[in-house]
Amino acid sequence: MWEIFKFELQYRMKRPATYIYFGIMFLMAFLAITTDVIQVGGGAGQVKENAPTTIAFFLIILSVIPGLLLVSAVMGVPILRDFEHKTASMLFTSPITKYQYLGGRFLGSMAITIFIFLGLFLGLAIGYLMPWLDQEKLLPYNLGHMIQPFLIFVIPNIFIMGCLFFSSGALSRKLLVVYVQGIFLFIIYAAAEEVMGDWENQDLGALLDPFGINTNSHLTRYWTVAEQNAQTTSFSGLVLWNRLLWMGIAFLSLAFTFWKFDFNLVGNASRKQKKKALTAVDTNSIERATTVKIPTVQQFSGLGTQVRQTLDLSIFYFKWIVNQIPFLAITLGGVAYTIIVFFFGLGGGMYDVDVYPTTYRVLNILTTFDIFFFIITVLYAGELIWKERDVKINLIYDALPYPNYVSLVGKFLSMVYMFILLLSVIGLVGITAQTLMGFTEYELGVYARSLFIDDLSNWVLFAFLGFFIHTMVNHKFLGHALMVVFFISTLVITQLGFEHNMFRFASGNLGRYSDMNGFGHYFQPFTWFSSYWFGLGLALFALVLFFSVRGAESSMAMRWKLGKLRLNRSLITFGLGALTLFGFSGCYIYYNTNIVNKYQNSDDSKADQAAYEKTLKKYMDSPLLKIVGTKVAVDVYPETRDFEARGTYVLKNKTSQPIQKIYLQRNVDSEVKDEVRFNVPTTISESWDNFKFYIYELENPVAAGDSIEMDFVTKFHTDGFVEGGSNTEILQNGTFFNNTYFPTFGYQSGNELNSDDDRKDNDLPVKDRMRPRDHPIGVTENLLGGTADRIRFEITISTSPEQIAIAPGYIQREWEENGRKYYHYKMDEPILNFYSIVSAEYEVIKDTWSNGKQDVNLEIYYHKGHEYNLERMMRSMKKSLDYFTKNFSPYQYRQLRIMEFPRYRSFAQSFSNTVPFSEEIGFMLDVGEDDVDIPFYVTAHEIAHQWWAHQVTEAGVQGNAMSSETMSQYSALMVMKQELKPEIIQKFLKLELDRYLRGRATESKKEQPLDHVEGQGYIHYRKGSLLMYALQDYISEDSVNLALRRIINDWAYKEDRYITSDVYLEEFRKVTPDSLQYIIADLFETITLFENRATEATYEKVGDKYQVNLDISAIKYRADSLGNENKIAINDWVDIGVYGQDEAGEDKLIYLQKHKINQETMNFKIEVDELPIKAGIDPINKLIDRNPDDNRKRLTLKEDS
Amino acid sequence: MQLNIQNLSKTYPNGVQALKNVTLEIPIGMFGLLGPNGAGKSTLMRTIATLQEPDEGTITLGDINVLTQKEEVRKILGYLPQEFGVYPRIGAETLLDHLAVLKGITNRGERKEVVKALLEKTNLYQHRKKNLGGYSGGMKQRFGIAQALLANPKLIIVDEPTAGLDPAERNRFLNLLSEIGENTIVILSTHIVEDVKELCTNMAVINQGQVLLTGTPTQALERISGKIWRKQVAKNEVETYKATYNVISERRSAGKPVIHVLSDGQPSDGFVQIQPDLEDVYFSEIFGKRVVTVGSLQ
Repeated sequence: MWEIFKFELQYRMKRPATYIYFGIMFLMAFLAITTDVIQVGGGAGQVKENAPTTIAFFLIILSVIPGLLLVSAVMGVPILRDFEHKTASMLFTSPITKYQYLGGRFLGSMAITIFIFLGLFLGLAIGYLMPWLDQEKLLPYNLGHMIQPFLIFVIPNIFIMGCLFFSSGALSRKLLVVYVQGIFLFIIYAAAEEVMGDWENQDLGALLDPFGINTNSHLTRYWTVAEQNAQTTSFSGLVLWNRLLWMGIAFLSLAFTFWKFDFNLVGNASRKQKKKALTAVDTNSIERATTVKIPTVQQFSGLGTQVRQTLDLSIFYFKWIVNQIPFLAITLGGVAYTIIVFFFGLGGGMYDVDVYPTTYRVLNILTTFDIFFFIITVLYAGELIWKERDVKINLIYDALPYPNYVSLVGKFLSMVYMFILLLSVIGLVGITAQTLMGFTEYELGVYARSLFIDDLSNWVLFAFLGFFIHTMVNHKFLGHALMVVFFISTLVITQLGFEHNMFRFASGNLGRYSDMNGFGHYFQPFTWFSSYWFGLGLALFALVLFFSVRGAESSMAMRWKLGKLRLNRSLITFGLGALTLFGFSGCYIYYNTNIVNKYQNSDDSKADQAAYEKTLKKYMDSPLLKIVGTKVAVDVYPETRDFEARGTYVLKNKTSQPIQKIYLQRNVDSEVKDEVRFNVPTTISESWDNFKFYIYELENPVAAGDSIEMDFVTKFHTDGFVEGGSNTEILQNGTFFNNTYFPTFGYQSGNELNSDDDRKDNDLPVKDRMRPRDHPIGVTENLLGGTADRIRFEITISTSPEQIAIAPGYIQREWEENGRKYYHYKMDEPILNFYSIVSAEYEVIKDTWSNGKQDVNLEIYYHKGHEYNLERMMRSMKKSLDYFTKNFSPYQYRQLRIMEFPRYRSFAQSFSNTVPFSEEIGFMLDVGEDDVDIPFYVTAHEIAHQWWAHQVTEAGVQGNAMSSETMSQYSALMVMKQELKPEIIQKFLKLELDRYLRGRATESKKEQPLDHVEGQGYIHYRKGSLLMYALQDYISEDSVNLALRRIINDWAYKEDRYITSDVYLEEFRKVTPDSLQYIIADLFETITLFENRATEATYEKVGDKYQVNLDISAIKYRADSLGNENKIAINDWVDIGVYGQDEAGEDKLIYLQKHKINQETMNFKIEVDELPIKAGIDPINKLIDRNPDDNRKRLTLKEDS
Repeated sequence: MQLNIQNLSKTYPNGVQALKNVTLEIPIGMFGLLGPNGAGKSTLMRTIATLQEPDEGTITLGDINVLTQKEEVRKILGYLPQEFGVYPRIGAETLLDHLAVLKGITNRGERKEVVKALLEKTNLYQHRKKNLGGYSGGMKQRFGIAQALLANPKLIIVDEPTAGLDPAERNRFLNLLSEIGENTIVILSTHIVEDVKELCTNMAVINQGQVLLTGTPTQALERISGKIWRKQVAKNEVETYKATYNVISERRSAGKPVIHVLSDGQPSDGFVQIQPDLEDVYFSEIFGKRVVTVGSLQ
C-alpha cells in the first residue's frame, strides 16, 4: 500500500495540475481577502473582515464552490486513470492486493487534496497580513480563528466529497458519473437550504446539509455583531451530528467500494461474453457476402443536402444527449429539486403564509432549475464539441464530404432541441404543480413567453459561449472550468464598476411579470439586448466555424491555417453580419440607455450623492417658506408611460422673520422636465444644474405670515429605455407615484450616503442615520422634511378611459372629455404633504362602516381575478375602525380606500384616506386555517397609520418610527388579538422574534433601543410588536390605550412641534404601576434580553389534583449597540405556565401567572386541576429570548423513592 | 486518374520528422504501403485523406489539389483510419445509415439499399441491430470497412485494415478490396507483407519518413534476386553473425534460429541461396543497409 501511496503522491506532485489547483485555491482566498475583486460575503458594517464568523463562512463556501470541482478532479480520477491509460491490467496482475491498491490510491489522492486545500488556508492566513488592508476593519490577527473552522468544516468536507467521488469514480470509471454525483451533493445542499426556509424544519435542514453551510449559518443566525467578532462555531451539537452523519455516509461509501471493487477483471466480464457470442460465424451470410453487389448510388452535395445533413445530425445528437445517463440524472435531479422547492418555496412568503401558485409565481420557482440548466449547458457544449474525438470516431467523420458548418450547426441545433425539451418538461412540472395545488388558472402565454423566449434565448446564448470556449481552449476540463470562471467573472466585472448590462453576458430578460401590468414595458429592451447578445453569440459561432478542429491536428497554428481555407464568402458574410447586428444593437442600446436616458454606475451615483452633500449641506437648516396649499392637475398617459402635471403651491412664511431666499429642489430624474414660475419677482442667485438645486432671490422678502404662489409644470416623459431599474411607478397599467416628482424646497438629507463604508470611500465623516431626538430643528419638522407641515389639497387627474385614477380626497366631479376620463378630488381638511396618484384598470367593491357617530365609505380597488382576500381586507378595515375609534379617537375622514398596484414594489403605504397596496403582499396569499392572516394584518397596520402618522405625526429624528410604525404594529396586533386565534398571535410573535434576532445579527451600524430607532425595520416593526405586546401584557391593554388616547389628545394635528419617542415613554410610565416601572427602561430604553429555561419538570398526583414541580433558570442580559451582552441582576415578573391537553390533543394553558424571578435558578410548585403535560417559564415567549424553544419542558411523573 | 505526391515533408511539433520529402505516384489499382510501425505511413495516409497538413509538398488527385480542395476529395474518398472507435450504444445499421447521409446519399431508397449491401458484404447484416459497443475487434474493423466503401469512393485509403481480423476475415476483406481496386485507387498501408504480396499491383516501402523503394512487387523482388541467403545457426552464434553479416531477419524454425542475410555472394559456408519473397524485400530495405543490433521485428 505504501508503494501505491508513494506512487500516487509522486505522480501527482509531478503534475502541473496539482500546483495549478493549489494556486487557484491560494489566489481565490488571497484575492478575496485583499481585494474587492472576489467577494465571498461577510465583513459588512461593524462585523470585522477577519471576524471568526466571516472566516468560517468564507472557508466553508470556498471549500465547496471551487472545492467541489477540484476535489472531483483529484479524487474522482485515480482509479479511472488506470483504466484510461490502460495500466489497469498491468497493475492488477502485479502482486498487490485490492486493498493495498485502493487504499494507496485513496490515501495518496487524499493527501494531495489536503495539500491543495492548504492553499486556501495559506491564502487566507497570508492575505490577512497584507499591510494595505484597512486596519480599522480587522481584529487582531488570530490563527486559531482560521484553524478551527478549517478543521471542523473544510477537512471533513474534503473527506466527505473525496470518499464519495473516489467511490463513484472507482466503481463507474466514468468522470461524468463523478460530476453527476457532485451535482447531486449540491442538490442535497440546496434542498437542505430549502427545508430550512420552513422555520419549523430548520434543525433538520441544518443536519442534512452535506457541506455544513446551512448548519453553520443556522447556528450563527442570531449572533450579534459582537459575537460574530468573537466566537467560532463549536464542534458540538448540530455541527457534530451533521459532520458525523456525512462522514459516516462517506466512510460507508468507501467501505462499499473496497468491498465491491472487482480487482480481477477489467470490470466488464459480461461484455466479453457477449463478444464471443457475436463472433460465431454464419456460413450462409459469408456466402451472401461474396455474392452481394454494392449498388451504385447518387451522391448529392448542394445546399438542400447540407440542410438535410444538418437536420439529420442535429436529431442524431439530440437522441444521443437525451439517452445519456448524466443528462437524465441531472434533469431528474433538477426536477426533484424543483419539486422540493415547490413544497417549501411557496410557503416562504410573509410569515410563512402560502402564496397562490399563479403562473408567474410558479415560473419564479422554476428558475431554481437554472443551475441545472447551466450545468447541462456547460457539460454538453463540451461533450458535443468533443463527441467524435471522445469515441475516437473523429477521423471517419472528418473525412466525410460535408462542409464544416453542417456538423457544428447540427450539434448546436441538438442543444437547442434539448433546451426546448427541458423547458417543456419544467413547464409541465409547473402546470402539474399548479393542478395538484388546485389552481387551474394556467396562463399558457406567460409560460410560453417566459420559458420559450426569455429562458430559451438565455441558454442559447450560453450554448454559443460554450461552443466557443470549448473550441478555442480545446481541452475539455479546462473548457468546463473556463465556463464557470466566465460565469463568476461576470459578477467580478460588476464589482469593478462595469455594471452596465452591455457588459453582462446574456443580460436580456423579460423582467418581473405582474398580473396587472403583464410584461409591461420590458419587451422592448429585452428585444434589443437579446439581439445585441445574439449578434455576439453568432460572431463567436463564426469563430467556432473558423477554428474548429477537423482532422488529426489541433495546434492553434494548424487551425489558423485550415481556418483560412474555410474562409469563404458565406462565412465572411455570416461573421460580418453577426458583428453588424452586435454593433448596431449595441449602438442602439447605448443611444437609449446613455444618451436619451441617463446612466450611472453605482460608484458614480454615490459620488454624486457625496458631492450633493458636500456642496449643499450648508443649506440644510436654512429657513424655508412652507407649502400650505397644493392644487394640481395631472394628466396620466398610461400607453406611453408619461404624465404631465401643472400645479400651484401656496408658500407661506411661518417663521417670525422675513424670508428672502427660496431653495428650490427640482426632480433630478432624466425623464423629468420641469419649470417653475413665482407670482412675485425673483432672480436666480445661485444654481447647481447637476443637482437641480437653485436659490431664488425674492425682490421683496416675504414677511412673517405672508404667502406667495409658485406655479410648476412637471413633465415626465418615457423615452426609449433605460439600462436597468426602469421606472416601475409610471406604467401601462398600475401607475402609482407620489409627489416626490414635483418640485420641493430645501436641502434633501434623504440623498445622503448612509453606510459607513460608502461615506469613507467618498471622504465624508461617518454619521448617525438620523438627527438626535432633541435636535431643536429636527423636532419642528415632520418625517417628510421641512418643506411643509399640513397642506390644503386639491387634485384633478385625467387618464385613459378604461382606467380609474385615484388620489387622496373626496371625489368632486368625474367626467369624460376628449376621450379621456377626469377625476377631481379635494380634501376638506389639511393633510400631510404626501399624496399618491394611482391609475389602473380596476374592479371595485364597496361597503360602509358606521359606529353610530360617523359613517365611512370603504372601497377596495383591485385587479380582476384578485378577489381572494378582499373579504379579509374589508373585514380588517371594519374591525380596525371599530377598535381604533373606540380606543384612540374618531377617524378623521369619511372614506377609506385600498388600491392595488403591481408587484414591482412590495409594500402597502398609508396616505390620507387612501392606501396603495401591492399585488405582491396581500392579494395573492392563500391564507390557511393556522396561518397568520396577512391581508388582515397589513390592512390593520396601514389603517392604524391614519392615526399614527396622519393624526399624531412624528418628528424627523431618532426614535420617530416608534411613534408611527411601532404604534401601528401594536394597533394591528390588538385588532388581530380580538379576531384571530391565540395560537396565531403566538405564531406571529414568534416569527417577529425570529426576524428581530436575525435583523440584529445583520445590523450594519449599531443596534438602537426602540426609543432611538433609526429607520431599522427589525426594531421598529419586529421588536416593536414584541415589546408592545409585552407592555400591554404587563400593564393591561386598557392602560396602554389610555396612554395613547392622552397622546392623541395632546399631539394630534400639531404643526409647530412633532412628537418624539420620549413622549410615549413618559405617558407609558404614567400608566404603569410602581412595581413594574422598571419595564419601561427594559423594553424601550435599553436592549434587554433573557435566557429563560425550564431545567427540570415533574408532577405528582395529590388527591384529585396535580402538583407540578418546576425548576427554572433565568438570566437577564443588557446588550450594547454591537451586541456585547452583560448579565445583570434579575428581579422581574415573569410568566410561569403549565399546559394540559384539550380534546383535540393540542396543548392548552391551564395555568399562567406572573411570578417574581429574583434568582438565576428557582423552583416552583404549582397545583393544577387537570393532568399537566408541559410546564415552563415565559412559555409563550413574551420576552426577548434567544432560545425561545427551551422555555417549556415536558413533565415526567415523579417516582416515589 | 492518378494520385501524385510530390516532395511531401512533415515534422511534428515534438520534433519527430514523420515524412521526409516523399514523392509517390499512385495509379488506379491496389497500392501497398509497407513499413514498420512509426514509419510515417499513417501520417502520409491522413495527409492524403485531408486530415492533416504537410509542411511542404503537394498532393494532387487528377485535377484536384488535395491540400486545398478538401471537400472535393472527401466526396470521392473512402477512409478507414488505423484506430477508431464507434458509438457504443448505437446499432451498425443506424450508424452506417447516418454516415451515408453525411456522405451525401440523401435518397432514402438508395441509402437503404447500399447500407444493406455493405452490411452483407462485410458480413455484419445479422448483427446490424446490435449495439456497436458489443462488437468484437474484427466486427468493428469490418464496420470500418463498410463505412469506407459508402458512396462508391474513387479513392480508398485503408490504414492497417487487417489488424485484428482473423485469417478468414482477412481473406474475405482482401478479396473485397481487390474487387474494388479494379477501377479505384486503393491505398493500403500495412506492416504485414502478406497483404501486399497477395493484392497489390504497386507498392512502396517506407521507413522513418522516407520512401525506400517503389514499384511493382515483381520489380522489387528482382532487385534482390540471388542476394538472399539463409542459414540455421546456434543460438549463441546469432550475435556473431549479426556483427559480421548483413542479417536482415532472424526467426526460429523448430526452436533454432534461422537467419537471412543480404549479400551479393555466399557469405560463408552453410548459407543457402533462396528465392526471395516480398518479406525479404521489405527487411532488406529496412535493415539491409546498415548494421543491425537487435532483430526484433514483430
